[in-house]
Amino acid sequence: MSLLKLEDVCKAYQMGKVVVPVLKNINLEIERGEYVSIMGPSGSGKSTLMNLVGALDRPTEGRVLLKGKDISRLPDDRLATIRQRMVGFVFQQFNLIPRLTAMENVELPMWFAGVPKKERIKRARDLLVQVGLGDRLTHKPTELSGGQMQRVAIARALANRPEIILADEPTGNLDSKSGEEIAKILSGLNDEGKTIIIVTHSPELARMAKRIISLRDGEIVDDRVS
Amino acid sequence: MIEYLELTIKNLTFRKMRTFLTLLGIIIGITAIVALVSIGEGMTKAVNDQFDKIGADKIFVASMMSGGGGTGQSLTDADVRLVERIPGVKFVTPIYTLVAGSEFKGEEKALPITGVPAKAAEQTFSDARAFRLMEGRWISQGDRKKATIGFKVHDDFYRVKVNVGDKILIQGNEVEVVGIFADTGDNDMNQRAFMDFDYLREIMGKGDEITEMVVRVDDISQAEAVSIRIKEALEKNHDTQSFVVLTSQELVKQITDSFKVIQVVFGGIAAVSLIVGGVGIANTMIMNVLERTKEIGIMKATGAKSIHVLRMIVVESGIIGIIGGGIGVLMGYVISLGINRAAEQYLGPNVLTTAVTMELALFALTFSFVVGIISGVYPAYRAAKLDPVVALRS
Repeated sequence: MSLLKLEDVCKAYQMGKVVVPVLKNINLEIERGEYVSIMGPSGSGKSTLMNLVGALDRPTEGRVLLKGKDISRLPDDRLATIRQRMVGFVFQQFNLIPRLTAMENVELPMWFAGVPKKERIKRARDLLVQVGLGDRLTHKPTELSGGQMQRVAIARALANRPEIILADEPTGNLDSKSGEEIAKILSGLNDEGKTIIIVTHSPELARMAKRIISLRDGEIVDDRVS
Repeated sequence: MIEYLELTIKNLTFRKMRTFLTLLGIIIGITAIVALVSIGEGMTKAVNDQFDKIGADKIFVASMMSGGGGTGQSLTDADVRLVERIPGVKFVTPIYTLVAGSEFKGEEKALPITGVPAKAAEQTFSDARAFRLMEGRWISQGDRKKATIGFKVHDDFYRVKVNVGDKILIQGNEVEVVGIFADTGDNDMNQRAFMDFDYLREIMGKGDEITEMVVRVDDISQAEAVSIRIKEALEKNHDTQSFVVLTSQELVKQITDSFKVIQVVFGGIAAVSLIVGGVGIANTMIMNVLERTKEIGIMKATGAKSIHVLRMIVVESGIIGIIGGGIGVLMGYVISLGINRAAEQYLGPNVLTTAVTMELALFALTFSFVVGIISGVYPAYRAAKLDPVVALRS
């Protein structure tokens, strides 16, 4: 059984009176431990695909199966639980909560999942040490560089030990050196067995992945293992 | 829960000015409530003090005829004897009250006088707190041409101070002052002389008429029943319009009723300011939700359920409510103290003593918390319903 399976998935948005199709008949299977990059020009539907895979959104048609279970028609709170347990998001804009320290940002998903405080603190510290921020635990996002912020975001994504890490242009806002560090961390996570799916414009980052899927106008035009 | 509180404090301190302005709305409302209610409590307390002054075991019977030009017959000694025989009555003190011409050191003035049997005077009034002697003694048995006078009569009623041992001319008769009461805070009581009942009637030519009687009952709990019996007995000889019978309780109730109107008005003003405060909280929380849309999207993406978001916003507005309430209670207390000092300055001591009770403080805190929670419900609902995809994009 695949970790992730999309069957004839379509997604369309209502823009006023016009229905705009974003994804058309996507069929896709991703196995546990894969490192997949999704490429394509803007507007090709990459982020929408990412939202569907990450249980942030539901398809208009078709089915999204996570570990064989159909999640395409689940109510909001069930989707929230799946995001809590199964998926970790990394965004281009880092999306940290500015008022919270690095530790607190990493603790947040564990808080939602009901992890006891002691355990939360221990795990958050371990994760921040793991991404090389052991000396930045109580810093606020504004006191961190872009690369450091993205590392906090990765630690946060790992907080509830998800099977899948979804990264949307994780190096898009970073200088090349920080970008390389982030790419290295992601590869490392994949080596440890995490399934990584990244959306990117960057050919260098895409090349780190073992499989590259290309999207154009809401359809998969290429899917190859490098 | 502690986590929500931590998060709330971080959120509130992040936008200090806005938090302060929002708090202000609630602070003003709660301050108004606490200050106004404390004045109300002070008034009630003043009435109760008055009640203590009168004494709780008394029934007052007053003739409506004397000096009023009514048609019926005035109350007389015969009525006193009638009332004395009613079961439950301990004893009856007849009283004759009038304003008589007086002269002291050549200065003539109209002086209110209460005539009360000299032997019963102290017994009738001494337990009432209003009458504490400053000097001398009560008129007592055999004191025909003696008087005990109120504080103002001694102090500044006449150009020259009247002291114990001085003689005042009442209707041309020399009357010796044997005692002076301490200041009661009540001008009607302060500006009055107490003389023997029989002697006063004699020199004023009033025959067997009385203006009032003070009835003491055996058992306070029976006061109401006894007062009804008195009314029935007197109705045999008198027109029902020609006299009134009032228990101490009824007297106090008449005063408290008039205060209720004031308290309702006060309460109304305070309620309006609280509603305004609540709208202020709701407005701030809606702004907060709008401003934090992206953050709420992030929280949802990292696994927050609707209930987490809902609780976060409601706790935050509840906290604003209770903090505002706490500051409001303190400010209301300060204002209440200020009113006390002003009342002491302008009305005299112990006339109006405002009180912020523990109940009032707790009520105000609970109320402000509830207002906060209610104000947060709608913004919280909006936040919880946000689509994470849309929220993240904002």
